[in-house]
Amino acid sequence: MMMTWEQFIYFAIAAVLLWAVGAWAAWREKTAVAYISTIIGLAVFFSFILMMWISLERPPLRTMGETRLWYSFFLPLAGIIVYSRWKYKWILSFSTMLALVFICVNLFKPEIHSKTLMPALQSPWFAPHVIVYMFAYAVFGVTTLMAIFLFFKKTQTSNIKHQTSLDNLVYVGLAFMTFGMLFGALWAKEAWGHYWSWDPKETWAAITWFAYLIYIHYRQLPKQKPHIALGILLISFVLLQMCWWGINYLPSAQGTSVHTYSGS
Amino acid sequence: MADFSYICTRIAKNEIEVVARTGIWTMKEGFLIGGGLIVAGLILELSVGPVMWEAFAWPVNGFVLAGFLTIIAAMFLLRKSVSVFRFIGTYQAAIPTLVYAVVLTIIMGLTRQTPDGRWLNNMLTFWPFVLVYVYMAVILGVVILRRFSKLRYHRSMQDVAFLLNHCGLFLAMTTATLGNADMQRLRMITVVGEPEWRALTQEGTIRVMPLAIELKQFIMETYDDGSPKRYASEIQILTKSGKNIHTTVDVNKPVEVDGWKIYQYGYDTQMGAMSQTSVLELVRDPWLPLVYTGIYMMLGGAVCLFALGRKSMIIDNDDRS
Repeated sequence: MMMTWEQFIYFAIAAVLLWAVGAWAAWREKTAVAYISTIIGLAVFFSFILMMWISLERPPLRTMGETRLWYSFFLPLAGIIVYSRWKYKWILSFSTMLALVFICVNLFKPEIHSKTLMPALQSPWFAPHVIVYMFAYAVFGVTTLMAIFLFFKKTQTSNIKHQTSLDNLVYVGLAFMTFGMLFGALWAKEAWGHYWSWDPKETWAAITWFAYLIYIHYRQLPKQKPHIALGILLISFVLLQMCWWGINYLPSAQGTSVHTYSGS
Repeated sequence: MADFSYICTRIAKNEIEVVARTGIWTMKEGFLIGGGLIVAGLILELSVGPVMWEAFAWPVNGFVLAGFLTIIAAMFLLRKSVSVFRFIGTYQAAIPTLVYAVVLTIIMGLTRQTPDGRWLNNMLTFWPFVLVYVYMAVILGVVILRRFSKLRYHRSMQDVAFLLNHCGLFLAMTTATLGNADMQRLRMITVVGEPEWRALTQEGTIRVMPLAIELKQFIMETYDDGSPKRYASEIQILTKSGKNIHTTVDVNKPVEVDGWKIYQYGYDTQMGAMSQTSVLELVRDPWLPLVYTGIYMMLGGAVCLFALGRKSMIIDNDDRS
């Protein structure tokens, strides 16, 4: 069966509804329903990705629209993993809302998808490099929403517990970001002859990586200000946006980045 | 008694020391040191010009690395008598340095980088940038030695995570930077039926290589819209060591011979599939095994970060209960 963006809306609606049921069940402490509904939603969404993959005859990872597809998939996946580990009731609502935003972007601003995949991208490293990064971005997306929530929260009583949850999320996100970055380095050696060339994308990846390291190290200090810790997370996420898509609009990166494939 | 053993563990784990030993040294001093490095870097940039990385070719980089490691070891050993050295191994030193590194790298990301640029347009040779990163490596080195010395009292998975991450980054950073001068990248233009021994260096000079390559056939496949799907070179390699290899070099699939990696680089785009020439890139990087060891350690460290979460770096403050 040929799968195109025209069919996306049906899969998207079904998946979002299932994730919403899962999120509601998590609030009501119906754990089993939360798991089953979220996982079926993920399966529905992934089946679309898989059929796109088959129809395109290449992994759908090249254009921004395609990476958003993975992002929308990984958000609820990250949500359910965090939920299973730390049982936060709110996490599935967060991840579903964020996934919905990205699904809407893809629905209202679909991008043309051709089958072509230039030789430089034909590598066994391509899928793991991008997928692992998208997962890291998804985890940091959830982290950022939680940080904003804590930033504006008045009461300080339960904040220590939340701050610990934030830390755990940052460690998971950073672990995947490290995988993505180093897979990229190993791939770059095979594709371009060098593992690190300070290409604008690599420069911004390093910036983002160091920014989250600042958070992790700041949280080890004996005396801390909660607002500084949260502020570091918010700034880090802005830097991450720069790395993800911002450099496409950056004058200094124009024509110099080997990472800009979407335009060609 | 419980409290006593708890405090002992924490001293052993270096957590109380951070508070007690650094005394008056705080993040403020950390930012001052970083600022001092920026000023020193600017003075160096004005007086001696940009960092000449080419000057670090073997054996200079070997000596520099040995000297660097000696300095780090000395700082570690003198940490009890020199307060700055003691400070270098703390979070209060690490955080401001990371902040400076991020800010300078952001400037690098916002400024167009050119190989023959100066100052902000060529950050990799800009002294303040280099000094901040070198200082970061010094901190990493001292922190690693401190952690190793603590292993006598207490060992845990946290130590494995900590050491993999920090040693991995230290190794990858230092060897990649110092080894860069020894990396050779040359382009060889091969023509069907003509064995080629010569290659072009990045500076544009011709060099005779220890291996010859003859292009047997240039292979090109295209999509329906004409964009390239695959291009590759079927080649015959003859080496001075007497090897005779028949192989195909694809994009993303380099071939390795006698320490040289041979990459498909380009072709005659005017001729497309009919191209009779193929441009290959020959790369040699003797420091690669060390850099890769660092990268694999960091990958192992990332597994630990994922598995242990927040606990991968410290004993939780609420572990006490």
